[in-house]
Amino acid sequence: MSSSDVRDVLNLSEGASGTRPNKKQRLAAPRPNLKGLAREVHNLGGDNPIAIVPEVTQFKKRRFANRKPASRWEMRSFRNSARDDSTLILKHWRRIEEKQENQGSPADELKQENGTQEGQAPTQDEMEDSSFAKFNAQVSVPQYSDDQYAQTLTSDTWTKDETDYLLDLAKAFDLRWPLIWDRYEWTPPATNGEANENGDESKAIVPLPDTQARTMEDLKARYYEVAAKMMAVQKPVQYMTQPEFALHELMAHFNPEQEKMRKNFALNAFTRSREEAREEESLLLEIKRILARSERFNEERRELYSRLDYPHAETDISSFKSSAGLQTLLGTLMNASSKKRKTLPGPEGASPSNPAPPQAPVQDTGRRESTGPSTGNREPPATGTPTTASKKGQSQTQQPPAERPKLTEKEEAIYGVTHHDRLGSGPTFRTEKINKLFSHKSNQQQLRINNTLNELDVPSKLAMPTSATTSQYEQLLGAVNSLLEARKVSDKLDGEIKIELAKKAEREKANAPPDGENSKAQEDSSKENAEKGAVTTAPEAETTSKPNSPDPDDVEEGDAAKNTEAAGAQKEEEDEIGVEGKAARPGSSGAAQKRSASVLSTASDKSSKRQKK
Amino acid sequence: MAPPNQLGKRVKLTQVRRPFIVGSTALPFSETNPRPAGVPDNHTHSWQVFVKGVEDTDITYWLRRVQFKLHESIPNYVRMVDGEPGKPFVVNETGWGEFDIAIKLYYVNDSGEKPQTLYHYLRLHPYGRTEEEKQAMIMENGEIRSWSYEEQLFNEPFDVFYRILTSGAVPRGWKGAAPPASGGKGKGGGKGKNKAPPPLPAPDSGDVWERTAMIPNSNRPGQPFSRETEAAEVKKLRDAQTTTEEWSQRILQELKGKEDLLAKLKAENAAAAAAPKPS
Repeated sequence: MSSSDVRDVLNLSEGASGTRPNKKQRLAAPRPNLKGLAREVHNLGGDNPIAIVPEVTQFKKRRFANRKPASRWEMRSFRNSARDDSTLILKHWRRIEEKQENQGSPADELKQENGTQEGQAPTQDEMEDSSFAKFNAQVSVPQYSDDQYAQTLTSDTWTKDETDYLLDLAKAFDLRWPLIWDRYEWTPPATNGEANENGDESKAIVPLPDTQARTMEDLKARYYEVAAKMMAVQKPVQYMTQPEFALHELMAHFNPEQEKMRKNFALNAFTRSREEAREEESLLLEIKRILARSERFNEERRELYSRLDYPHAETDISSFKSSAGLQTLLGTLMNASSKKRKTLPGPEGASPSNPAPPQAPVQDTGRRESTGPSTGNREPPATGTPTTASKKGQSQTQQPPAERPKLTEKEEAIYGVTHHDRLGSGPTFRTEKINKLFSHKSNQQQLRINNTLNELDVPSKLAMPTSATTSQYEQLLGAVNSLLEARKVSDKLDGEIKIELAKKAEREKANAPPDGENSKAQEDSSKENAEKGAVTTAPEAETTSKPNSPDPDDVEEGDAAKNTEAAGAQKEEEDEIGVEGKAARPGSSGAAQKRSASVLSTASDKSSKRQKK
Repeated sequence: MAPPNQLGKRVKLTQVRRPFIVGSTALPFSETNPRPAGVPDNHTHSWQVFVKGVEDTDITYWLRRVQFKLHESIPNYVRMVDGEPGKPFVVNETGWGEFDIAIKLYYVNDSGEKPQTLYHYLRLHPYGRTEEEKQAMIMENGEIRSWSYEEQLFNEPFDVFYRILTSGAVPRGWKGAAPPASGGKGKGGGKGKNKAPPPLPAPDSGDVWERTAMIPNSNRPGQPFSRETEAAEVKKLRDAQTTTEEWSQRILQELKGKEDLLAKLKAENAAAAAAPKPS
């Protein structure tokens, strides 16, 4: 139906312009976007193009976008490395690579080429592995050497052979425990051997029930034990990463009993009947009700306790310890109880009170007004009184309840409560004690202590300052101090010895005649050598005899001998001084100042060395 | 400080300890730890300094707030961190240098105690006496940790605080008794609607419970403080002590010989001095 038809129907005259729409239509028609519209619908629009344009999607692409020939496939052989039998070679279809395609343009040639390549393929693609081979993941089973087994893995119920067997099975079946358990048929080789020797098979059969007794949980427990221990051997626990540690913990704490119970429970749950299930449900409800009731009961009881719980006064009770004090106490007690009985009969009846300990009510007197219901009935000083309740009461009344909960030893250990003979109040840090030990010393001493600690390879800061380590550290410091003290004394002695030696050398030099020193010195030394043995054995005689000899030569002789003797004596412990002494002797002919200076310098050298050490 | 009558008297001759960990963790900027926007170019590390409980237990029931005094060059260098129950006290920063951090601990109001200061040296680079030690220092992800174990000792705490410190032990993650907000008014525990906590474990069980002074038995990753470490340290110190004593012994023995020698020399010299001198 065209616009001319409409005009026809409406009896409109067809003017000269009548042909135009036709032309227009022809022009519009080839427009691709109008393609989806029926011609009639389109024509309804008349001259104006229709505004609603359906979206035309291209449904099909051209089939052969490129003019390339079809890709070629070939049968190629491959092998699967995941398989054990390496001789098995299978074939599959594979697309031939582009390169080969490009090489041969005519189809025939290509075919020929393919033919040749097919021949080559197996040789060339010998390496080609199945793409599925990578899915053949192997379980990593813990490995251990004989030594490691002997060290960590020995067990009463498992032999090494059996453990090996278990691990082999675990590997073979990829840790699928039902399979492992099913196939587990361990026959101890030792008994087998015996059986062979004796030719008696009955012995070989004996252990069978034992092996069958191994449940899946036993196997698992052993496996996890081995795995966890080997993990810890390879990497100490504190160096493990979080996931590793989690795994280790999991395996180390495998509980076969619990696992068994779990399975039994699941089994029972599966096999119960509908009635049983219903009964269980009702029982659960019952339990819930009972629990709720007991909770309410507990709460009530707690409230009662808190009501009975009364604050203790911290006043001194010593005044009531004398008989006169007790007398007055009795009087006040009578008054108090009679008054109370009148005013508060309720709680009294609720707790049939045994006669109260005498001091308790008096402590109470100070606070009676504020805590009304307390009956002077002492709670047993037990942990049974919930601390929370007493605390609640205290926070409400803003009054410190005098009864301090007595902690058991265990609680004290857990809460870190300790008792000391002397304590300054206030918060401190554990390390402060050690710091104080240091800060009380002079800087030089601190340095010395630190040097000694370094020598001992002990860090001056504790890694974990607990009471045990600090007390140990204190002891160590005490030992170090006494060591330093000893060193100081020894250094001082060394110094004095040196001074004496220097004095002697001085004297020697002064005594030595100015001429003929060399010969004298040689004489001396030869004399010394001769005398040495005698002198060292009897030094006392030498010293006693010496003052008697006024002859300077004699004196000198004695001195020299003394010198060597000293050198000999010192030799074992202080080679240097010995050397020094010897060196000083021939040097007696030299300048006095020089010598003494050298002695001093070595002395200072020595002491500095000591310190460094 | 709060008037003592409100807090009760001091519990005489009694000490309550609370272990905690103070330390810093530093991580250099890298691919995995990109420099956040707005951080100056010369900063090389991101670091955090913290005060927390052993095994991340809650310590806010005795520690109210912590003041970290950082280096003056850091903007806003005095950082106050108020405790949120169950969370450690942490300051995160970036920087390039190491320095001493003064850490001031403010105790809960019920303690009635004055704040105390301790010092922690921020470490960005591996430290130790040998190269191996330095190498061992670096964690797998390049972190440098400088953590120290410390024990807070409350000597003769006030009665109220003593009760706070010696009650309410529950296993970690225990739902029944939520720890009271910031050690509030001593309403520890619940009012009956909470389940009663399980009986206390043995002190050496190695469990670590909330609101106790317990420490674990053995080390775990990221948890180097335990009885194991303590025992090792005690042993080391004891060994050092015996060697020291041996050394002292040896020196004392030498001393005897020296004394004899000195006496002899002195006598000799005195005699020589007494003797008429030729010159």
